[in-house]
Amino acid sequence: MMMNPVLSRELRERMRTGRAFAVVGIFLLLLTLTAYLVYQGSTTTGDISSDLARQTRLGRDLYEWVLFVMLTLVLFFVPALTAGAIAGERERQTLHPLQVTLLRPRGILVGKVLAGTSFMLLLLFAALPVMMVAYLLGGIRPLDGLKGVGIICVIAILLTLMVTALSALTRRVQTATLLAYGFTALLVLLGPLLYFTMRVADGSQGNDVENPPALLLALNPITIVADATAGENSSTVGVGSGNPLNWAREEVVKAKSLNDDSWFAWFPEDSFRAQFRIDRRDGFPAWAVGTLGLTVIAALLSTLAVRRLRTPAETER
Amino acid sequence: MSATIEAPADEVTATPDAPVAVRADHVSKRYGNLLAVNQLDLTVPRGSIFGLIGPNGAGKSTTFAMISSLLLPTSGRITVMGADPSRKPRTVRRRMGYMPDNLGVYDNLRVDEYLEFFAASYGIARTEWTDLVDGLLELVDLSVKRTAMVNSLSRGMKQRLSLARALVHDPELLVLDEPASGLDPRARVELRELLKTLNGMGKTIIISSHILSELEEMCTDVAIMEAGKLLAAGPPRQILERLGGSRNVRVRFASGTSESFTVAGDVEQAELLRRLVVDEGRDVVEFIEESGGLEQLFMSLTEGIVQ
Repeated sequence: MMMNPVLSRELRERMRTGRAFAVVGIFLLLLTLTAYLVYQGSTTTGDISSDLARQTRLGRDLYEWVLFVMLTLVLFFVPALTAGAIAGERERQTLHPLQVTLLRPRGILVGKVLAGTSFMLLLLFAALPVMMVAYLLGGIRPLDGLKGVGIICVIAILLTLMVTALSALTRRVQTATLLAYGFTALLVLLGPLLYFTMRVADGSQGNDVENPPALLLALNPITIVADATAGENSSTVGVGSGNPLNWAREEVVKAKSLNDDSWFAWFPEDSFRAQFRIDRRDGFPAWAVGTLGLTVIAALLSTLAVRRLRTPAETER
Repeated sequence: MSATIEAPADEVTATPDAPVAVRADHVSKRYGNLLAVNQLDLTVPRGSIFGLIGPNGAGKSTTFAMISSLLLPTSGRITVMGADPSRKPRTVRRRMGYMPDNLGVYDNLRVDEYLEFFAASYGIARTEWTDLVDGLLELVDLSVKRTAMVNSLSRGMKQRLSLARALVHDPELLVLDEPASGLDPRARVELRELLKTLNGMGKTIIISSHILSELEEMCTDVAIMEAGKLLAAGPPRQILERLGGSRNVRVRFASGTSESFTVAGDVEQAELLRRLVVDEGRDVVEFIEESGGLEQLFMSLTEGIVQ
């Protein structure tokens, strides 16, 4: 079977420039620096070697900080590396020659997404050794390390898909880059901003129907990673506290508890709830709800992108 | 309802070996208030080198984009090698190579990788790539640049590479939008010779250019457009004669003197030669029709309208 030509070309072009190696270097440097700072921060507060529990907590804390920085870097690098994927073709005026070949618009989009994803996966797998420092300290199992990198991979793939799709909707790389960063910022900040604004506006803080839906917090890459890496003991809220993932976990638990453990407390009328058979005590974990939400957004944007990549003749068929 | 929508699909694919490569029937293309192409009727004979001439904004590139299945006509119908590009874009793309007026090349690829990428995009098997790339590079005289980076090529070389790209799937029809723009005189001559070679290989070529003298030497048929309208179409000499256009003939005599004469057509030109040699007994050593017929034709037909 022939490899997607766009993927093959993109990988070749990407790996030919020094930029790719610079990005890998910066990525690993920042993660190593994070691990070093967390380790140093902990060792200056006491002798960790004499206290197994403290060492285990340090391992966990280091793992979560590395995960958080890794996710932050993904959120920063995906727009930087992918925003120009299709807008760049338009700007360089290479899209028309591509569109008159036998490649289908979907093939062009898939090639671009796979190229972006492959590079992000390379970055994440290159970071596994840094993650394993936490394993050596204790506090996480190898499976936890893989789970953490795995969920960040899923987010990287979905974000690459979304940013590539946005790139297809624009004509200039500069516009696409601004749009990609704006969209990523919205993805991270909009849900929490809405949620906390509504919670402040509610004021009652009680267990009532006017509480904002916890779903707003779930549609967020940080929450997804936090929830997916909570560990086998999900009541570990508080353990290794002080890192952003733990804070996100606490807030989601709190938000759900304010709504009778439901994601969908937004609908105040019981009859409405019954009409759509929404289970008030649904057991979907936050990472599943969030990933599903991001998948839906990515699918919608991809559909728009494929339509945009079609020539008028193909659109009308 | 436009003819494009009404035409039955089978009808347009039933004539794959029609003597006509491209036919446009009452084709119009509108962008908002701008009528880029206005009721265009065009017939490009198979095997011809067809020049589409017109000032900037005449609608040439829009016409090429419609032929290449990149744009839909607002009304009217186009058939390319017997297929309607708005209904069967992939059928048209298999049989047509398109070279747009801008040089869209990937700078971080080698010349051979660039052509291999397009070979893959046309679904050509990997086993055929090496021979295909060798053949194309030889044809466009870029064999020595096979492993050079695309961004290191001169503009003329990039144009030739772009032409090789349009030829990668061995199309029967080539649509070339301003392929000579920005080329130095030598590169233009090389391109012209290359296009003649391709035409000799049986390919129909539709080309637009601002350099009329070049088209005049090369084209078997031309169409002149202005402000989206077709002003005239056919073999250049026929158009000139139909319009009663005149041409200049320069005659040099053995005495060293030269004279210019204006004649209306072939018959009058032959009559002039007979008169000078037979009737007047003058020693004619050179009898040259001065180029500029197409230029004259263009100037006499167009009014410099800008949309």
